[in-house]
Amino acid sequence: MYGRKACQLVKEFASGEKGQLTPFNNDLFDQVVAECSQHHGELQSLIRKMQEEGLDVQTARNADHYGALIHLFSIVRNKRCLTAYVYNRAETIRNLLWKIGPVIPKEIEEKLNHWEEEYFKKHSAALKSYMSKVLVDLTVDMVPPKDPYIQVRVLEDIREGIVLSDDKNPNFARHSMHFLKRTDAEKYISRGLMEELTG
Amino acid sequence: MASGSVEGEQSSLADDYDALISTTDVELLKRAWRNEKAAPEILRFESDLITRVREQIELMEETVEEKLTVGTDPLSVSLYQMDLDRTLFLLRSYLRIRILKIEKYMFHIRKTEELWNRLSKDEKFFTERCTDDLKKHLEESVLSKLPENYQSYERQSVISEEDDMVPEPRLDTFVLCRSKEYLTGIQLEDGPVDDRSKLFEMEPDVLYFICYKSIKSLVESGKIDLL
Repeated sequence: MYGRKACQLVKEFASGEKGQLTPFNNDLFDQVVAECSQHHGELQSLIRKMQEEGLDVQTARNADHYGALIHLFSIVRNKRCLTAYVYNRAETIRNLLWKIGPVIPKEIEEKLNHWEEEYFKKHSAALKSYMSKVLVDLTVDMVPPKDPYIQVRVLEDIREGIVLSDDKNPNFARHSMHFLKRTDAEKYISRGLMEELTG
Repeated sequence: MASGSVEGEQSSLADDYDALISTTDVELLKRAWRNEKAAPEILRFESDLITRVREQIELMEETVEEKLTVGTDPLSVSLYQMDLDRTLFLLRSYLRIRILKIEKYMFHIRKTEELWNRLSKDEKFFTERCTDDLKKHLEESVLSKLPENYQSYERQSVISEEDDMVPEPRLDTFVLCRSKEYLTGIQLEDGPVDDRSKLFEMEPDVLYFICYKSIKSLVESGKIDLL
């Protein structure tokens, strides 16, 4: 049946958990693309046939006209499904940027195709350039601050690249607990290297 | 009697205080932030307000710095710090909500002049980069593989008469809002057709749950606040 594969593709995305990605379904994707070319070929040949019969393609309402319409709508529908698949995945990828920052973990990277990786890099560069212009880091402070300091526990040894706003150099050994500024701790929490201790 | 007049005086003092507080930049930012958060479409960028808030944040940072070096009592420093953090959060959140809206409706914003003019200079630049990147991504992954007449990212095919593939915000969603003054003559744009000719009135300080489209212009002119 025409359009069934495209529908499967969209369903596959829609049935996934929100905010989570499944591996890019290259196989099905290419099949739908091939279906489009096939429809296009048939559409063209029907139009040629009508022209050969001396009919005006714009106004003639014979069986070939309706046949051609079906092929046209099939292409358009497939196009919508393909674009929706890529567009919505792109949206999820952009949201990843907000959730886990500009570095994608390996297990997620495997699920992206080549263009999606490129897109992620480009979009993260665009966002970074915006933030450097407005001089505000928008990726911290995601929840309203109740207290400027929070209690955290380190989940994995953090040895390098520790930058705190008060220029101190703490020892973030695994399982150690610290009392940090929320803005300093948030980036480690989002990367899963620390957890906030509550109540 | 005497106590009554004192009370009256106090309440008018409290009113004055409320009026004064509600015009501080932080309160104005809070209002802009709430409106932006609740509105389905992007609103005008409050550029003057944001500039002032930034200056104040710098000033506050200097104060905190100064107090830290002088070594005044840590409690007051921490209070200043908290105030600073809250203002910073509002600023960040305000800018972030706008960026998220831009990400979501970038093509629509870019081609609609009215919305485009609401962005700040930096946001415009960001939107341009975003739309170019996503367009390129769509073209490379899908559109270039389709037959010739179907390669536009805005239109389904060459015979579409308008851009029928651009996601737009839904302006007919419902929002919670409150007016500061008595408003009348609001034309409702939803509900049964017979009711639409009736004009709607809004009492001050009463909460209404209403279709965004009907009060869109009043939100833009600042008469109504969203919640």
